[in-house]
Amino acid sequence: MTAHPSFLEVKDVCKHYGAIRAVDGVSLSVRPGEIVGVIGPNGSGKTTLFNSILGQIRPSAGRVEFCGEDITGMSPLELSRRGVGRTFQTLQVFGQLSVRDNLIVAAQEFKGTLAGRLFASPDAGLGHHADEMIELFRLKHVAHLHAGSLSYGQQKLIDIAMAFMPAPRLVLLDEPCAGVNPSLVDQLRDLLVELNKTQGGSFVVIEHNMDFIMKLCPHVICMVEGKVLAEGTPKEVQGNREVLEAYLGN
Amino acid sequence: MNAQIKTLVLVAVVAAICVAATFMKRSDVYLLSLYCVYLMATMGLNLTVGYAGQMSLGQAAFLGIGAYHAAILLKFGWPFFLVLPVAAVACFVLGLALGFPALRVQHHYLAFATLGFNVLVYLMMRNEETITGGTFGISGIPRPTIFGFDLGGHLAYFYFTLASLVVLGLLLWWLLRSPWGRAFAALRDNPIRAESLGVNITAYTLFAFAIGAACAGIAGVYYASLVEFIEPGPFHFSTSLTMLLAVIVGGSGKFFGPVVGTVIIVLLPELLRSSSAPWLKFMQTWYLAVFGVAVVLLMLWLPGGLLSIPDRFKRKGAAK
Repeated sequence: MTAHPSFLEVKDVCKHYGAIRAVDGVSLSVRPGEIVGVIGPNGSGKTTLFNSILGQIRPSAGRVEFCGEDITGMSPLELSRRGVGRTFQTLQVFGQLSVRDNLIVAAQEFKGTLAGRLFASPDAGLGHHADEMIELFRLKHVAHLHAGSLSYGQQKLIDIAMAFMPAPRLVLLDEPCAGVNPSLVDQLRDLLVELNKTQGGSFVVIEHNMDFIMKLCPHVICMVEGKVLAEGTPKEVQGNREVLEAYLGN
Repeated sequence: MNAQIKTLVLVAVVAAICVAATFMKRSDVYLLSLYCVYLMATMGLNLTVGYAGQMSLGQAAFLGIGAYHAAILLKFGWPFFLVLPVAAVACFVLGLALGFPALRVQHHYLAFATLGFNVLVYLMMRNEETITGGTFGISGIPRPTIFGFDLGGHLAYFYFTLASLVVLGLLLWWLLRSPWGRAFAALRDNPIRAESLGVNITAYTLFAFAIGAACAGIAGVYYASLVEFIEPGPFHFSTSLTMLLAVIVGGSGKFFGPVVGTVIIVLLPELLRSSSAPWLKFMQTWYLAVFGVAVVLLMLWLPGGLLSIPDRFKRKGAAK
């Protein structure tokens, strides 16, 4: 793979619902290995921006490029095959599968062909890797339980671990700390830092937990009313008067 | 129970049934053969509904398509083992086609789409007299002779059907233990998440319908040879509802769910109806009402099906 100066390039993306401009001309770029934070009040268009990048919805205008390729409007399936992963704002695990099976299914479709997987071993050769992730996310004691029977925090960890199972080149995390207790928040941040080092992917993180985002992300973007209000280092964004007025408060 | 003990128990049960069949009346052996045939179809339906989470009320149509393939081709003198793959492939292809609505609609909308397919096939069987014989049906369907063994006898045909059921069961077990089985479960539990993880939900949805349909088509071939006369009646959509009931009563998405559920829908009503014990005499007239009440109570008490009983006790134990 050739290294592009801009790994992910979002150019003037808009998403309109009638007169409502959920996302209004947003541009951003993410470099290889970079962790970018996206903050903003509720309804500022952060998740709509994610969904526009990730093919869940088709943007009304603008262009999204990944490694120099136009991926605007591509389906989530096509994007996942290009190494783009995500987590959702709400929990999205496979409740009736065990934790281990949740992790295996998250990566199995990237191994071999559809027909080939019919004749593959039951764990698709991913058992060891799944066990490593289970260890990393401290889920060993619940590895064989149904994911749906676990606590919210544990399911959140599974959800995030699943996104990283296929070692994606770019992961978009939508509020990874939502509903998670404070001690788990620190654990989650450490995990993301470690995964960034070991897997080398780029992350874009939407989050309301300012402490989490300011410590994790060297580059932060603040969105308000569908537009980018400010961007820069955490310190610069935190000190921005407009950001303080619109989101962070005094 | 570990896997080895489970396998041994299963082998012992199958062996016991084989031995018991030699002491049974002709009608009881026929009933057991019918059970095997319906189980082939309900195991396929369990893959579509229970594992892949796709609602289907069209399974009886595939049973009928398989049966009419067998009736027509066997009467033309085709060998049984050629008719079998032809019927299976025909149902597989039609199942693929029936899967397309599932890419756009789900749940009760999909139920009605598949039900519509069943009604359409039923009407074709009834009205296309030149091919299907219409309401007069097709009679004189021969039973096969395999490697010189005549399977015309009721016991021989039962053993043949049972052996074929075991082979089909093993194939489905292998399929569901492969990564495909996990992908089907992901499709059932959360298709949006599954797609974001690279699961080709279009392909798996279509294959879930196609494989389920092929199982019913195979069952249809065995059904035609078993009853030796077919007409459209048994392929009415009410049979699809009954088969869905078997999957749900047994335990949807559990491998042995249809094994138990098909006992409830095929064997239990007959056992109730034909019971000769004095205290069960009233059953001969009230068996359908008793059966209906039992199903309602079962669904209220055990929505996860009969095979969810161990899980329920485990949960109660854990809560204490």
